[in-house]
Amino acid sequence: MSKDEVLGKKPLVILEKIKENLERLNEKMEVIIELQRHDSKDVPQSLSDAPLDVMTLLSMPDHLRKTAMTVCRAGRATADEISQQTSRARAVESAYLNQLVLMGYLKKERKGRKAYFYADKES
Amino acid sequence: MGKIIAVHSYKGGTGKTLLSVNLAATFAKQGKKVCLFDLDFRAPSLFAILKLENAECWFNDYLNNTCDINKVLIDASNKIPSKGKLFVGLANPATEAIRDMSAKDRKWEMRALGRLLYLRNALLNDKSFDYLVFDTSPGLQYSSINAIVAADLVAVATTGDRSDVDGTRRMLRELYNLFEKKTGIVINKVLDYNSKNRQEELYDRIKNTYQVPLLGIVPCFCDILRAEGNFIFAQDKPEHPFSKLLDEMAKKIDANEVR
Ligand SMILES: Nc1ncnc2c1ncn2[C@@H]1O[C@H](COP(=O)(O)OP(=O)(O)OP(=O)(O)O)[C@@H](O)[C@H]1O
Ligand SMILES: [Mg+2]
Repeated sequence: MSKDEVLGKKPLVILEKIKENLERLNEKMEVIIELQRHDSKDVPQSLSDAPLDVMTLLSMPDHLRKTAMTVCRAGRATADEISQQTSRARAVESAYLNQLVLMGYLKKERKGRKAYFYADKES
Repeated sequence: MGKIIAVHSYKGGTGKTLLSVNLAATFAKQGKKVCLFDLDFRAPSLFAILKLENAECWFNDYLNNTCDINKVLIDASNKIPSKGKLFVGLANPATEAIRDMSAKDRKWEMRALGRLLYLRNALLNDKSFDYLVFDTSPGLQYSSINAIVAADLVAVATTGDRSDVDGTRRMLRELYNLFEKKTGIVINKVLDYNSKNRQEELYDRIKNTYQVPLLGIVPCFCDILRAEGNFIFAQDKPEHPFSKLLDEMAKKIDANEVR
């Protein structure tokens, strides 16, 4: 990227990028905080593409099961939509959802400013 | 919107199939639009009990994603003398199909849950069914847990047998509760259920033992055994005490009194 672009044509775009990155960073921090809050020993890390079947749901810690079940029922949802179903704070759901993504049970897809979560049934 | 009811139990032979069939028939008799599904893929039995002609597809095929749900449903309304509607989705009783269903992996079971959940849209929403009734296999079978997760209400059949009581309590704690499922208990095959004292004693004991809503207490009827599965009490013997009990259960569920 040239000095010209940074100072002249695209400062707004760059600010947007920075903001987006900060938001992502924020989500990751939330996950880390949540992981520390709950006993993270019983949370297997980074299984890629683990199926979210009922036996898996049964063996999950309660707080994650509630989120995962709600995604299963909804099919595809944002943290906002999930938090409306569970009556828990959006930030909390966002952390749990991202944790489930890290664990490989959910997939995350960005559409514009929104992030959608879903259980991957295809792979 | 309509509701999905899963009929489940810890042990086998507690009366799930008898209750499923008669509950579905009772709802239909009361003018509801109902579909009864055989989710006991290990030992399919609705096929034999309802004596229906083959459908284009089995419910297995729907879960395998090789067939549309509309090709699975069989209209059995002509069996019910009322304006209600009774449809049935059958499990394939062929040995090969049973073997096939028992060898599914986690990924398949996850997709099957998705397809069960989808019935909410396809049947309750789009086709305005009032009730879907799932007859399941006993215990912690994958297909049964899928049915429980997809259901709005779990009707748990149990007998007085010690091992059954114990297992049922465990399932309430460690299965239905974890999924935050509404459950109603049916105590089946109860003996000496005539005296008022016995009824009250039983009622109290059930409340203490299970601490969940009671859907009904069903005595052991020799008439049921004598019938050898050849007719459906709710429709063929509407005046029988067993049919009357099912009327009560259906009304409780319909009035949302199972809490
Ligand atoms: N209240 C009752 N009085 C007399 N017989 C009964 C009663 N309830 C069930 N039965 C009989 O008990 C047997 C088992 O019932 P049913 O097949 O409905 O149980 P199930 O729970 O579906 O069994 P499975 O676990 O094998 O699927 C049948 O012969 C049935 O007629
Ligand atoms: Mg049965």
